[in-house]
Amino acid sequence: MIKKLALSAIVLASSLYASSEVNVYSHRHYDTDKKLFKMFEEKTGIKVNVVKAKASALIKRMESEGAKSPADVLITVDAGRLYQAKSKDLLQSINSNYLTTNIPATLRDKDNKWFALTKRSRVAVYRIGSGMDSKLSTYEGLADPKFKGQIMVRSSNNIYNQSLMAAMIAHHGKEYALNWAKGVVANMAKAPKGNDRYQVKAVANGIGSVAIANTYYIGKMVHNKDASQRESVKKVKIFFPKFENGGTHINVSGAGVAKYAPNKDNAIKFVEFLASKEAQELFAQANYEYPVLAGVKSSELVSSWGQFKDDTISINTLGENNKAAVKVFDQAGWK
Amino acid sequence: MINNFSKLKISSVFLTLLISAPAIIIFLYLFIGSSENWEHLKETLLFEYVFNSLYIMIGVAVLTALIGFTTAYLTSLYTFSFSKFFHYGLILPFAIPTYIMAFIYGGMFDITGSVTTFILDTLGKTLDEVIFFDIMSIEGAIIIMSLVLYPYVYLICKTYLSFESASIIDAAKTFNLSSWQILKKVILPISRPAIVAGVTLAVMEAVADFGVMDYFGVSTFVTGIFRAWFGMGSVEDAAKLASILMTFVFLLIVLERLQRRNKVYKSSGKDFKPIDKVKLTGFKNVLAVITCFVPFFLGFLLPFIQLCFWFAISYEEIIDEDFMTLLYQTLTLALGSAALITALALLFVYNVRVNQDKSSSILTQVVKMGYSIPGAVVAVGILSFFAILDRYVIDLFSSTYIISGTVIAVVFGYCVRFLAIAINNFESGFTRIPTTYDDAAKTFNIGQNKTFVKIFLPLLKNSAFAAFIVIFIEVIKELPLTMILRPFNYDTLAVRALELTQQAQIIESSVPSMFIIVIGIISVTLLAKNMNKA
Repeated sequence: MIKKLALSAIVLASSLYASSEVNVYSHRHYDTDKKLFKMFEEKTGIKVNVVKAKASALIKRMESEGAKSPADVLITVDAGRLYQAKSKDLLQSINSNYLTTNIPATLRDKDNKWFALTKRSRVAVYRIGSGMDSKLSTYEGLADPKFKGQIMVRSSNNIYNQSLMAAMIAHHGKEYALNWAKGVVANMAKAPKGNDRYQVKAVANGIGSVAIANTYYIGKMVHNKDASQRESVKKVKIFFPKFENGGTHINVSGAGVAKYAPNKDNAIKFVEFLASKEAQELFAQANYEYPVLAGVKSSELVSSWGQFKDDTISINTLGENNKAAVKVFDQAGWK
Repeated sequence: MINNFSKLKISSVFLTLLISAPAIIIFLYLFIGSSENWEHLKETLLFEYVFNSLYIMIGVAVLTALIGFTTAYLTSLYTFSFSKFFHYGLILPFAIPTYIMAFIYGGMFDITGSVTTFILDTLGKTLDEVIFFDIMSIEGAIIIMSLVLYPYVYLICKTYLSFESASIIDAAKTFNLSSWQILKKVILPISRPAIVAGVTLAVMEAVADFGVMDYFGVSTFVTGIFRAWFGMGSVEDAAKLASILMTFVFLLIVLERLQRRNKVYKSSGKDFKPIDKVKLTGFKNVLAVITCFVPFFLGFLLPFIQLCFWFAISYEEIIDEDFMTLLYQTLTLALGSAALITALALLFVYNVRVNQDKSSSILTQVVKMGYSIPGAVVAVGILSFFAILDRYVIDLFSSTYIISGTVIAVVFGYCVRFLAIAINNFESGFTRIPTTYDDAAKTFNIGQNKTFVKIFLPLLKNSAFAAFIVIFIEVIKELPLTMILRPFNYDTLAVRALELTQQAQIIESSVPSMFIIVIGIISVTLLAKNMNKA
């Protein structure tokens, strides 16, 4: 009886909610997104309601809310969390010709439960004149003792590091990854602390010579109010390392439609919009991220850093190996 | 017939159950945890979590007690240059959230920070020629937490000393004791409950902190909780760690209570007379000024100057219509929550006073535990709790969630987290009201309600005001819980500040931070004025 009532309640709710709105749980917190949501509202008349928090917290919230969750779309800044949401059965497959045609298969879930919206690559940033450009080659090479006392990298609590490690595990297995992590820890100039920009600033100012950082932070530092960031970034250059048997490590931010989305149609429209040319251009121009849509150009600044080849492993793997990655970090003593 | 006594008791029991429900749910996770991760934690990081957390607790306890008590002692018993100013000034650090303080200090002292550059320029040296204290370390975290949290000790000690010490000091003086002897033999012992109450709050807040520890790369129980949850996706293990932390803090409270049991100093109820403050001159005057200036300077002035500088270059970009909306939301949320929590705390403490039994004081202690649980973990407990309520109780009446994802959930979260502070405030207020008042009311057969309204409420006015203001500031500063539980399109100043810092726009984040701090300053000034009246 209760189940029936609940079911009819849900149906009623769905029809009530099928108004012109879309409820978004987002881990992205960029001002660009605010602009994009406004653009979507103006274009479609569908109101975008947003709650922003850490992805794991949002996933927990969706889990607790169950079938009555108001969430329509989940947006995260990394593939690992999308994988987590999928494995907890919180997302649904969606049928969108636009998305499946335009987003490459390597950048979306195999069951179409989520789609990448932007790419960011995790690279090496070295101080000009430090001689590191001739020493840098692969990610694996960062564990070489020739980098002793040279590497600056943030804590392993950070998801970008976890994804890099997940990729390392995918390429070489856990044991190799553990030895690699131990090697990098031994090469660190300082114990991990601060964010990616802190690492870049440290390297620019003579503490260590190589920072591991995401590319878009460099863009943000170039155009910053803080003079010390602008000055620091002038002293460094980007190097795109590769995996020995792959390409440069990339991660994605992406979106999926919630399993119980009360506004499913609006949710699909919303995700399609974020993958549209105009939205992709804004992602690329304003946030220095790499667009996922073919034909959309990166910003001039981003292009000036050079070209690279995406790593070959599937983005899905980053999520699958996330837990193992955290454990490897713990064992290696990577704080 | 249910009389007033039991009505009070019944509501306390009901509220305790309600408020501790999220914590109970967290505890229940202990029994359903997966062991594979747990073994890994035990092998790798658990020892570090325990060691670092203890180190931080001890460090913060020592520093806050030292700074808080010394400054409270000086400003309560003596007058010296600027002492009137310090009366207010010393509470100001309380207006700065710990995570903002960490960002500011991190910014000032990092490689290209203003302080580092200034020192290097002055010395004419380069970075590798000078060894700097690394602020982004566990010791740095202890210093920063202590600078922000010592006002808890200062406030409670000062209120206590202003009320209690005059007659005792006079009595001590008749024995011809020197001021040093009076401090050692009289003031320190009688201040112990106040110091401990303040230190307990400071330590609980320090041990539940995430922002500072994460930014400084210090592994504690709380960063471990987040690592288990966010990194390994295991809420069970996160909850398990949280349960250990909670048990730990509960033991701490119990130990403190046991130790204090025979040392409760109750007011004789005789005329409260203001302290005849002694005027300090010469060297002692200078020493007192320095002692008060250092915590004020490091805890407030220096970071505030840096913040003003950042604010000036970024306010135009950040303040817009949306910003005003979130300012309004923050203020209304904080006012409403502070009023509710103050009222609830009063109910709990009054229940203890009226019933004077073990069970009532246990209820109060249980409710206070919420303060030691990190905000995000409280949020997980609340999510699960309301999901159960929404799913099984309210389901029949509504097609959508009534509580989850609403402001009710957020306010409930604040109740769980902050009742301890309000209760501590009232507890010290109540100890100042002699029990003879209760007896007199009984003798004259005045009803419980009337006694409360006519006698206790007026006497507790100041405590209530202090509790209200402190909670108000706490809510304005609160972060993880608000982030996780808030409804759609509902931002607060703290959330906005965090968003900007997460984009590493530290300079821009000074704008919401500045608003938080200015609201804090105004509130703190009111608080200090109220203390003066008291």
